[in-house]
Amino acid sequence: MTVLTTSKPLTDFSSDPMLPTWAEIVKIEQEAPGVKTYWLKFTDPKIQKEFSFKPGQFNLLSVPGYGEAAISISSDPNNKETIGHTIRLAGNVTQAIDRLGVGGILGLRGPFGSSWPIKDLKGKDIYIAAGGIGLPPLRPVIYHIIENRADYGKVILIYGARTPDDLQFTVEYDEWEKADIELMVCVDSCDDTWTGLVGVVPMLFYSLRINPKKGALLTCGPEIMIHFAAFEAIARRVPRERIFVSLEKNMKCGFGSCGHCQLGPYFVCKDGPVFSYEQIGTYLEVEDF
Amino acid sequence: MPKKSPGIGSTIVILKPQLDTILTTINNLDYQVEGPQIKDFSVVLGPIHSLADLPKGYQSQEEPGKYTLTSNGKENYFDVTSGSHTWKKYFFPPKSQLMVFQQENGDSSDWITKSAEEETPRYALIGARPCDLAGIQIQDKIFLEGERCDPIYKGRRGNSLLIIANCTEPCDTCFCTSMGTGPKAKDGFDLALTELNDHFLIEIGSDAGQKALADIEWESASGYYIKEGDLAIEKAVNKIKSTLQEPERLAIELLENLEHPHWDDVAARCLSCGSCTLVCPTCFCWDSTDKTLLPGTTIIRERSWDSCFNPDYSYVAHGNTRPNTRARYRQWLTHKFASWYEQNGTAGCVGCGRCITWCPAEINHLDEIAAIREGEPS
Amino acid sequence: MTSEQELISALQTIPWFQKLAPEYFDKLAGISSVIEIEAGKDLFQQGDKQDYLYVILHGRVAIEIAIPGKGRVRISTCEPTEMLGWSSVTPVVRQRTAGATTVLSCTLVRLDAKELQKMCDQDPSFGYVVMRRIANVAASRLLVTRLQLIDMFSHSSKGGKNA
Repeated sequence: MTVLTTSKPLTDFSSDPMLPTWAEIVKIEQEAPGVKTYWLKFTDPKIQKEFSFKPGQFNLLSVPGYGEAAISISSDPNNKETIGHTIRLAGNVTQAIDRLGVGGILGLRGPFGSSWPIKDLKGKDIYIAAGGIGLPPLRPVIYHIIENRADYGKVILIYGARTPDDLQFTVEYDEWEKADIELMVCVDSCDDTWTGLVGVVPMLFYSLRINPKKGALLTCGPEIMIHFAAFEAIARRVPRERIFVSLEKNMKCGFGSCGHCQLGPYFVCKDGPVFSYEQIGTYLEVEDF
Repeated sequence: MPKKSPGIGSTIVILKPQLDTILTTINNLDYQVEGPQIKDFSVVLGPIHSLADLPKGYQSQEEPGKYTLTSNGKENYFDVTSGSHTWKKYFFPPKSQLMVFQQENGDSSDWITKSAEEETPRYALIGARPCDLAGIQIQDKIFLEGERCDPIYKGRRGNSLLIIANCTEPCDTCFCTSMGTGPKAKDGFDLALTELNDHFLIEIGSDAGQKALADIEWESASGYYIKEGDLAIEKAVNKIKSTLQEPERLAIELLENLEHPHWDDVAARCLSCGSCTLVCPTCFCWDSTDKTLLPGTTIIRERSWDSCFNPDYSYVAHGNTRPNTRARYRQWLTHKFASWYEQNGTAGCVGCGRCITWCPAEINHLDEIAAIREGEPS
Repeated sequence: MTSEQELISALQTIPWFQKLAPEYFDKLAGISSVIEIEAGKDLFQQGDKQDYLYVILHGRVAIEIAIPGKGRVRISTCEPTEMLGWSSVTPVVRQRTAGATTVLSCTLVRLDAKELQKMCDQDPSFGYVVMRRIANVAASRLLVTRLQLIDMFSHSSKGGKNA
């Protein structure tokens, strides 16, 4: 017996984390084949002003009729004008988001989840290892580092994609290098116009000289890449409590209620998606857990 | 005939037919009474209008994969144990509406969200067991505490009246004593009944429970009846055969044995049907799907029960993180008996035995736990 | 042509050379020379008879396999301190299975593979140290190649029910 009444529209989006707030797609940027960044702005300017997030957190984007997708925020937390979400078009929801186009309205709820503990890593050498679509959740950290460069030692971005066309945010690489971030980029396969490295992210560790007392690893990407990047860092004696990973799981609620995202006792949406390897390593290493 | 209500915490005794009066009072208080009844050779939960609807004279026998109803010729209403239905369906309905999106003016850029408000039912649940009550208390924590208090659960639970029937005839798959959840309810009930031959002992747990007794003839339970009640419970305790030793140690023992060869053994038998999750009083996983009503301007975001045994449960864009039965069974068992401790500070299991009784593959999960917790054979 | 002193200095920049016992270091120095090659030149070609083992000091070398009808496909690249052409020291493989081309201009240490094999046969302890190093290189290369394969073959553009 459901009685639909015209209840007053929700303006305070923090009162029920299941209810989406409406945002407009103000810009779409093609990053790579099948990958776009959607820049969103809340339709209510007050909410836009109040929205803030930490690097590594995600939003649940909602298209009525299709469902929701959990997407990491890929923009600079200091950008209060719009919120960037870099999405690889994969299923029904993401394709529905794409069809909305610039000007389209979708639902947004968030931010959810834990964040990269970059502020706790002052003075450390920061190794950022990203594979393919794993770079967007790490980009907010890169911006933080650039804005606070003196707080950190060596900063090296190790990034791999399938082909040179699949590399994301290439227009920003110069700027990042100018900010004293060393870039090591590789691809799985290419033609001879590519003079860069050919291989995979774990391979790039071979030429690194990591100081175990100062090194910290932040990594995101396909789980197998995370596994081997962490493996290489551990082999170089980076302590497990300074290796951080960001995980992807099926998420429906975002706050530890629906159960889907569990890994052992952890809810990846609420206790993660960023974990230290110390917390999550034993479970990550169990096949099919 | 005492007019004053019995005090909270006290125990009274009534003649069995008086329970009908209590049911009438409860009806008049605007509750919809729900309880066990016989249907299709099994016990299901449904509307109870009077004592006559209850499964008088029946008893159940439960084994792995088997539930048998037999008549025992007694005048007892609550000799049957829980059937396949759980009481969680009243507070956490199998399907409910999370919200409704309404398009204004046919413009797909202008959605209005309406919180789906329903008339919150007022359920009086009669005949739930102490293990079921423990299950409700665990789900109270899941749905009312944490980052979101579920409005549907809150509304229904706030409107509910719980009349627990202490267990006098447990079955072979019951292990409430190992989990500390029965056969007698400690607290959290509005009324708790203990069935004797011709009488019910009723322990009063709350104001609402008191109100339900407004129209009956009662006496304070004398020492004699209290003793009869204690004997009935003691008899129940002695009847319980299944045990789970030191369940709190499973928090470590199961998570330390995630690669035990026995998981393969169970996986070969488990059908990944999800029956265990369906009949479990504490399982809470849910899915959300959007249902579009023609002509496409109204969309309902619906919540429905989900199960970690469903193939899509662990689906991610790059594949399925639990692609086989072994992975899914292991997830269910370790969540229920191990991870739950860290997540909620309590066991996830209440020892009702339904998952054992209703498993079509006749898996006795207690045996599987025993095989795994000892560690791998050297 | 570099002087002996320059050769020794160059070898000392390579980590695993640094860890060698002095007499082994000298043995290897004796069969090594430093060469410089411009970008875009073949170091060796697929099918060549094997003669040298290389260690990169500066630059980048690409390993390529020529596929008839497709041309050369770049399989991987090697960076400074990495060893390549190591199959020249393993007994079974008779000729280069892939080609190596400089991507950037390079400075390399070049070791005579035949001489190296002779030294290993004559002094098994020395041979063991060298083979262990080569086994390490082979293992790392294999892991990287496998990950590349997994990545390339697991690419799926199928959509699903969810995101």
